[in-house]
Amino acid sequence: MALPLAGIRIADFSWIINGPQIAQWMAVMGAEVIKIESQVYIDIGRTNPAGLPRDAKGYNSNGFYHMLNYGKKAVNLNLATDRGRDLAHALIRKSDFVLECFPTPISEKLGLTYDVIKQVKRDIIMISVSLLGKTGTEPSRWVGWGPLACCFAGLFDAQGYPGGPPRQTGGTWPDYAIASTVVFHALAALRHRNRTGEGQWIDASMGETVIGQMHEYYTEYFMHGRERGKRANADDVMAPHNTYKCRGEDKWIAIAVGNDSEWQSLCRVMGNPEWAHDPKFADQFGRHQHRDEIDAHLRSWTSQHDHMELATKLQEAGVPAGPVLDSVQIHQDPHLWEWGYWWRLNHREVGERIVPGMPVKMSKVPQFNYSPPPDLGQHNREVFGGLLGLSEAEISRLMEEKVIY
Amino acid sequence: MAGLALDDLIVLEFAEMVSGPMCGKMFADMGAEVIKLERPGIGDPSRTLPPFVNDRPHPEQSGFFFYLNTSKKSVTLDPAKPSGAALFRELVKGADMLIENHPPGYLEGIGLGYETLKALNPRLILVSISPFGQSGPYRDWKGTDLIEWAMSLTGYNTPTLVDDENRENPLRAPGHAAETMGAANAAAAAMMALFHRDATGEGQWLDVPCWQAVVNTAKIEMAIWSYVGMPFSRLRKNVSVGLEPLPCRDGYVYVLWAADAHWIALKKLLGNPEVLDSEIFDNLAGRHEHDDVLRPLIRAELAKHDMEYLVSEGQRLGLTIGPVYTVGQAANHSHLKARDAFVEIEHPLAGRITIPHHLVSLTATPPKPDRAPLLGEHNSEIFGKLGLSAAQQQALRAAGVI
Repeated sequence: MALPLAGIRIADFSWIINGPQIAQWMAVMGAEVIKIESQVYIDIGRTNPAGLPRDAKGYNSNGFYHMLNYGKKAVNLNLATDRGRDLAHALIRKSDFVLECFPTPISEKLGLTYDVIKQVKRDIIMISVSLLGKTGTEPSRWVGWGPLACCFAGLFDAQGYPGGPPRQTGGTWPDYAIASTVVFHALAALRHRNRTGEGQWIDASMGETVIGQMHEYYTEYFMHGRERGKRANADDVMAPHNTYKCRGEDKWIAIAVGNDSEWQSLCRVMGNPEWAHDPKFADQFGRHQHRDEIDAHLRSWTSQHDHMELATKLQEAGVPAGPVLDSVQIHQDPHLWEWGYWWRLNHREVGERIVPGMPVKMSKVPQFNYSPPPDLGQHNREVFGGLLGLSEAEISRLMEEKVIY
Repeated sequence: MAGLALDDLIVLEFAEMVSGPMCGKMFADMGAEVIKLERPGIGDPSRTLPPFVNDRPHPEQSGFFFYLNTSKKSVTLDPAKPSGAALFRELVKGADMLIENHPPGYLEGIGLGYETLKALNPRLILVSISPFGQSGPYRDWKGTDLIEWAMSLTGYNTPTLVDDENRENPLRAPGHAAETMGAANAAAAAMMALFHRDATGEGQWLDVPCWQAVVNTAKIEMAIWSYVGMPFSRLRKNVSVGLEPLPCRDGYVYVLWAADAHWIALKKLLGNPEVLDSEIFDNLAGRHEHDDVLRPLIRAELAKHDMEYLVSEGQRLGLTIGPVYTVGQAANHSHLKARDAFVEIEHPLAGRITIPHHLVSLTATPPKPDRAPLLGEHNSEIFGKLGLSAAQQQALRAAGVI
């Protein structure tokens, strides 16, 4: 059965995380994603030690790259050469989308701006992803990744313990969070193009994605001129609502109680200790007022338990709770396996590895396109020969001239 | 030709709080007719969440509800009642999509499971958003934004660079990152399903969990385990190099100094101070190994400079550096103003409310958020279209169905 985006082609100039994550959504759903790379600027995902097996050599073994680029084709083009740029334009003329995520000064240098691209193909849908958007004032030219978007958008200032310094969320989640948001809008733009023949430019800012998910912080500021500020895990309504230490190094459980019946169930699992029956904890308001006191009691209880066992026991009693999983546990988690999130990639160079699949399931798409991540330049002959009609001899010559490079 | 890209779609939203309504908002702001089904008399519980106009709780004056429900129509309907279920089925017949975020099995329990809905409308796309998904051992676990976030490696790693693991417990991101990511994944998958339907005529059922959405944001951390074989840790003692907000004279900045080029630029930005001029810091390995010595030196130098100097000049020198702004500083920033990142919208009861404008900007079909609906504001319009007389609507209201 055809995948939902069969017949759609993307000229993908993106690298590292956010652009590749967008292109991966499109690729696994059946679009032909042609990832245009260059040895002049190798995708950091191919080289970063964070995903490189210890004895691995070359550019094709990195888990960081594999997890973000399966499902795609890869070609090489050196956009610093005129011929390289001509071939890029030839690919763009045969594509529905162009995708790029370079900092603005680099996009300009490489000719990857909407002003240039729409002259190459009038109805192209161009997607640019950046730290803070490519229009506006000086920050439109900055370089940065997910955490800097959190910095600019006020998220790190609001992250942390009351009275303490700003703290950061781990990793670079806005680079991933923006991906499906962009995919939604890109497909709306595709539908618009199919109806009207009109292309457009999608100028996506990670900063604005972060602002959208913390909207109440902004609405409160605009209404009242107030900062909601650092609240650790405190919720506006729920209590207890926090993470609590469990047995073992850096092991934790999250518990979120939203009503009286969940509270009573929590008390039952705790063995109905005397403190929990203090009338001041009897309703939601009282629990919220005295949440620090409850937290102290809960911590001394949870610290004697295993986080996995306790979370299971609480959930069986109807209490919202979850173990904070470490990297070993999450790769073994029975739910993620049974639901179908993880899959096993069998790769020529690194053998069998556990890799993440799509975070959605679709009843009419029983199998996404999980073709293996491409080697650097793996599809040069297929794309330049097949799609653009270049002869074998010419492709070889362009390789020697470091155009296909 | 500016227009709305999705103005031919009719979307039912039987969803509450954040994940489902956020997904519905994405469709509504792009032009779809989104009909939100709310509990008779009460409405979406997010109507009780702050901030409120004048700090007075009122179901029509919640800024929280307002943002998540822009551009929608509201009808009150209880599909758990038989006559409510009948109206629900009529609405489903005319809809392209149904977005719901009730516990898995709830719709089936009230006789409105996917097979029933599909029989009524084979073209329907049912978008089910849930904490953990529609199958698997945690299917019936209760989830909240905190739990979905905390159970992921991103959640474990927040805050990162922890000195005292007994005191620095894992924190949720401010806002509702898990639920919002689930919403965006649902919206993207729903568009895929729409292309599938346009090609084949058939609808389908989408299973979109919020936990998996957050799990999916830690691919580097996954690779560190599954490709390199190293367990991932947030404790400073286990992290050879890490980033954190560092104080400057008038606030905090965030700066990356891994590569040699960055290191040279950082030294230049700080005026090439002598204390940093040591050959043990001259390469990446040395900077990693001596991080405990280097970091306090960098802290001391950064503290001598202002944020705007460090960021503007640092970016000019090619450094990956940014300001740690408060929400107020960001809200008033000329860059975000120039991008129309915020929009003021008039509401008949709440007055003028300013909210974040768009998630991404589009040139031809930009999102156009309009005000959120009053509870049941569109009852007579929508139920009138189904052919119910005024008398029938009054009787249904008296029975608590609408």
